Amino acid sequence: MSRSTPLSNRIENWLPRLVLAPSLLVVLVAVYLFICWTGWISLSSSMIVPKYDFVGLNQYVRLWSTPRWHTAVFNLFVFSTLFLALTTGLGLLMAILLDQKIRVEGTLRAIFLYPMALSFIVTGTAWKWILNPALGVQKVVNDLGWTSFVFDWIAQPTFAIYCVVIAAVWQSTGFAMAIFLAGLRGIDNSVIKAAQIEGASLPRIYRTIVVPMLRPAFLSVIVLLSYIAIKSFDLILALTNTGPGSATEMPSTFMYSATFRRDQMGVGAASAMMMLMTVAAIIVPYLYSELKESRDGH
Amino acid sequence: MTKLKRMLLAAALGLPFAGQAMAQTKIEGLHVWTSASEVGALKVITDKLKTMGFEWQDSAVGGANGANAQQALRTRVAAGNPPAVMQFLGFEGLGWAKEGVLRSLNDLYAKNNWKAALPPVMLQFLQQDDAFFSTPINMHRQNWVWANKSVFDKAGIAIPTSWDELIASAEKLKAIGVTPIAMSDESWQIEELFESMLIDVNGPDFYKKAAIDLDETALSSPEMIKTFELLGKVRGLHDAGFTGRDWAAATNLVANGQAGMQIMGDWAKGEFLAKGMKPGVDFLCFPTPTATPNYKFVFDTFGGFKIKNADIEKGQDAVAEAIMDPEVQKKFNLIKGSIPARLDVAMDDFDDCAKRSFSDRVAAIKNNAIYGSLTDGFAVEPRFSGVFQDVVGKFFVTDMSAEDAVKSLVDGINNAR
Repeated sequence: MSRSTPLSNRIENWLPRLVLAPSLLVVLVAVYLFICWTGWISLSSSMIVPKYDFVGLNQYVRLWSTPRWHTAVFNLFVFSTLFLALTTGLGLLMAILLDQKIRVEGTLRAIFLYPMALSFIVTGTAWKWILNPALGVQKVVNDLGWTSFVFDWIAQPTFAIYCVVIAAVWQSTGFAMAIFLAGLRGIDNSVIKAAQIEGASLPRIYRTIVVPMLRPAFLSVIVLLSYIAIKSFDLILALTNTGPGSATEMPSTFMYSATFRRDQMGVGAASAMMMLMTVAAIIVPYLYSELKESRDGH
Repeated sequence: MTKLKRMLLAAALGLPFAGQAMAQTKIEGLHVWTSASEVGALKVITDKLKTMGFEWQDSAVGGANGANAQQALRTRVAAGNPPAVMQFLGFEGLGWAKEGVLRSLNDLYAKNNWKAALPPVMLQFLQQDDAFFSTPINMHRQNWVWANKSVFDKAGIAIPTSWDELIASAEKLKAIGVTPIAMSDESWQIEELFESMLIDVNGPDFYKKAAIDLDETALSSPEMIKTFELLGKVRGLHDAGFTGRDWAAATNLVANGQAGMQIMGDWAKGEFLAKGMKPGVDFLCFPTPTATPNYKFVFDTFGGFKIKNADIEKGQDAVAEAIMDPEVQKKFNLIKGSIPARLDVAMDDFDDCAKRSFSDRVAAIKNNAIYGSLTDGFAVEPRFSGVFQDVVGKFFVTDMSAEDAVKSLVDGINNAR
């Protein structure tokens, strides 16, 4: 039977594969090949340029003996957790409020979504001034008469990372809101109507019916925001430049300075591999469970 | 068909030759100079190059304290397409020379006797295994104090002769409501202060042991703890808005009279001069106070990559000759704010700060008191100077004790070895 398949059918069968092949090849080379290459470099003694020898896990030992790396890892967890929680929470809240058929919804949506159109460099520079105690919020409040008011988190090594969270949340909340809003609009109104007829209160409807139905939107938001959190390189450079005293160091800024400023390419590669493993350890199981369930469900 | 083939062949073979015959050979130079004075100074070299028959093809990559340029260079060397000429600071050139990718300039050095014209301390950054690979254009001095004269007069402060005096003067400035020391919480700017203290308080020999030889006994010595304690005294002497401040913005605070002084290399001088201020009249420049006079240097060099092309090689030689031309060095440094790398350039046209730098350099060479700046990469390789930067930056902005700072410095250096 298969021999007599018409040519057009065979082309139709092969066409998707042919079209996808170049991009698949690019991904294989540009992503997976270079991941392997970075892994190899992380096991070598590379300094200023790549060197293809083998020193075992020396660079990893060196990496984990660097206090600045510990700061970077700690900051990544603090930042990612707060950033994800606040952005998702605020984004969902704003989406629900906007979904109440209010009058100027279009305008408000544009206002909330607008920060997303800015680059992190712009956001970082603007917030650097807003948070600077001699220029921004603190000065304005002091000038208004409340002279004992102090808001100098950006100058405090223990609080500076929260300044980064503030700026990042400000930038990305509108984006989370937009996705949730799209999700809310996709929910069949009759479900909510039915619940109302049953006498359920509005908060209860949202908690037990609407929010669980937004699961696909949550997946998109969390995956995209995690990716923003991990690559938050430009925001740090513009906002705090890893200061004060490397208190806002992140794995990404650590990798860049080790590789390109301190001639420790091996350490840089080791830090990149650690980042990859961290991301994989969190995202892979999450994606697996989410995608598996949706496949079983439908 | 054959006609077309012939035409294509002619085009393929002929065009490159035709192109070269018509225009001057282009020499591509990769560098990090982007500010007005830097670009103006570079033009002195490229104008000279033009009279020698070569056209400078400018590739400026600014930002991230030179890291962006290093990244660009690495990519290009890895791709087998290095620039003809590259600007190097500190150990950057040595690193590439060790990889064997830089051209030797020994013939030019021997022919022009350049070695004798340069300060001996410079040579270790210019040669690898007896092969000279780059030529220096200038020398900046790192250990300067820049002060606003009218503010100093108002507070009744004379030029301090020791760090204790300087800190006492700072307290006086605070009393009249002026920010005593203009600075930033950026680690490298704090380190400029720290390394000046390190050599001023403990002497040049100790500086060599600790910051250049990375001798573990010196690094963990009481002298080191003392230096951190001294740095700790500066903690309250800056303003609240010092977060993320650019060094030039800090210089401007001094120039405007909002702050009393700044400890910074002489690239800061240009900010005063740009406002039409005169050294000795409107602003003061004096070396960081010490009983053992010393000189800490930073300089820019240019080296050429090995490229198999006779025209490019001639161009690289021309760049080296232009850079080492005494007249070029004079004009370049009048704009850049540094002093000539050559020891035999007449200093008559320079301002008082530059003259002071020049005469102090002569004295420091004689007394063995001239060393490379730690912050700016002329003391140790970047992986070590980075550790100093981490520890000094963290120490200053937290309430870390001097003992803990010394301990993490020693651990960090050993970890990077």
